[in-house]
Amino acid sequence: MRLLAGLLALVIAFPAWADCPLDLGRGTGLVIFSSHYLVAFRPDPMRIEVGEPFSLLFNVCTKSDKPAELVAIDAQMPEHKHGMNYRPTIVSLGDGRYRVDGMVFHMPGRWELAIDVRAGEESERLSHEFILK
Amino acid sequence: MALAASGALTAPAIAQTPLQWSDDKVKAIARHGPWPPPLSRDPSNRVAGSPNAIVLGEHLFNEPRLSADGAMSCATCHIAARDWGDGRAKAMGRSELDRRTPSLWNVGHAHWFGWDGAGDSLWAQSIRPILDPREMASDAARVAGLLREDKALACGYERAFGEKPGGGDEKLLVDAAKALAAFQATLISPRTPFDAFRDALLSGDREAAARYPLAAQRGLKIFIEANCAACHFGPRFTNGEFGDVGIPFFTRPGEVDAGRLDGLAKLANSTFNLLGRYNDDVSGASALRTKHVQRLHSNFGEFRVPSLRQTGSGPFMHNGHLATLEDVVKHYSEVNPDRLHSDAIPLVRPLALSAEQSADLVAFLRTLSAEPPPRHAPPPLCP
Repeated sequence: MRLLAGLLALVIAFPAWADCPLDLGRGTGLVIFSSHYLVAFRPDPMRIEVGEPFSLLFNVCTKSDKPAELVAIDAQMPEHKHGMNYRPTIVSLGDGRYRVDGMVFHMPGRWELAIDVRAGEESERLSHEFILK
Repeated sequence: MALAASGALTAPAIAQTPLQWSDDKVKAIARHGPWPPPLSRDPSNRVAGSPNAIVLGEHLFNEPRLSADGAMSCATCHIAARDWGDGRAKAMGRSELDRRTPSLWNVGHAHWFGWDGAGDSLWAQSIRPILDPREMASDAARVAGLLREDKALACGYERAFGEKPGGGDEKLLVDAAKALAAFQATLISPRTPFDAFRDALLSGDREAAARYPLAAQRGLKIFIEANCAACHFGPRFTNGEFGDVGIPFFTRPGEVDAGRLDGLAKLANSTFNLLGRYNDDVSGASALRTKHVQRLHSNFGEFRVPSLRQTGSGPFMHNGHLATLEDVVKHYSEVNPDRLHSDAIPLVRPLALSAEQSADLVAFLRTLSAEPPPRHAPPPLCP
């Protein structure tokens, strides 16, 4: 519920992004943004388990309403400086929506997700942290 | 080891006070259960969980005629009374191999098989020693012929697969392996003193928790604080992945065992991997790891993280390099960080344990084993 209120507040604060669909289904998701991009995503299944494959569903939007692209996804454990043992694949679902398959966080602890997005010539890396227990 | 653990179950009739456990530590302990885990069925194997396939699989497991010279069966190395290993540092096939025979306890819950993870299913892994010229040195024609021509095995096959043993030799080899896998997936290790302690702690049963030896409790605290669960995670005490923990990887002068690096090359080249035509899972979900796994330079010298449950009396590590559990703890206490060349917070670092702490950690590890119930001969294939 708090997340939905947060999403609503975000759309009110940034009316240019009002068309960006932030709710990725089941009324929940995570939103990160920079001065150019807004990325909404959620894991599938919602709960990420250590060592279990999962997918990520994305909506990638830009402030200027240009088409945006999800270029690459990676994750690493910053403390140990190792990444995943698996290479995810990105499938475009159209309209800035993407599905990323083949994610596996194989250890408990802090994982940093790196999300590379691009609109025209501009690209940028956004990040998000997960703590797995 | 099993005897020692059994003693641990019964010895502490003396009243003692369990250590104080913070909420975070209780949560960490909870993640190592419940035990036994819920049954899982391998979707890539159409006869997984089938009682008839399990019976056929156990007969095949003990069948020396699967081997080229009729002298070796799966059970030659995977001995029930030795925790489904052989108690040797290096496995002995037709000659000595470079790695230790892994235990089969809880193997149905794994997702990579063999010390190098060259197998991505239990049935594919079961084919490897049958064909390996250093082990059973057999071939698909021999296995298929046995299934077709031996009256009892042919009958057992028909019961398990719902048809007479037909089709090509390779298909019948795979089916034999799927029956072997169905049997091996039933090998679930028994509940242990640790499981009783975990459950008592979670239910607030202080009296039951107090039966767990204090030395084991102290060892468990060391296990948690040293972050051993980064790799030895979950109810099976393994995340099922791979690591280099500083064990020498030279097999003989000038030769190395590259571990996971080679295992991934073998996986990619295998006719029997989950991306191939023998995967019975039409959804494709079971092949997800195989599809996405990446081969990295850092895989060199990595070996599968073994479960800590029912480890047997040793030797230990992928190549039997360490003889006893005490040696294993000493290794982690004194491991050379330069050998592991990590430029971050290393996952494996010298724990610098005192003699008392080492003994406590060993005491804890021993409570992850228990005396398994006696085994009976399998029922006849077609009575």
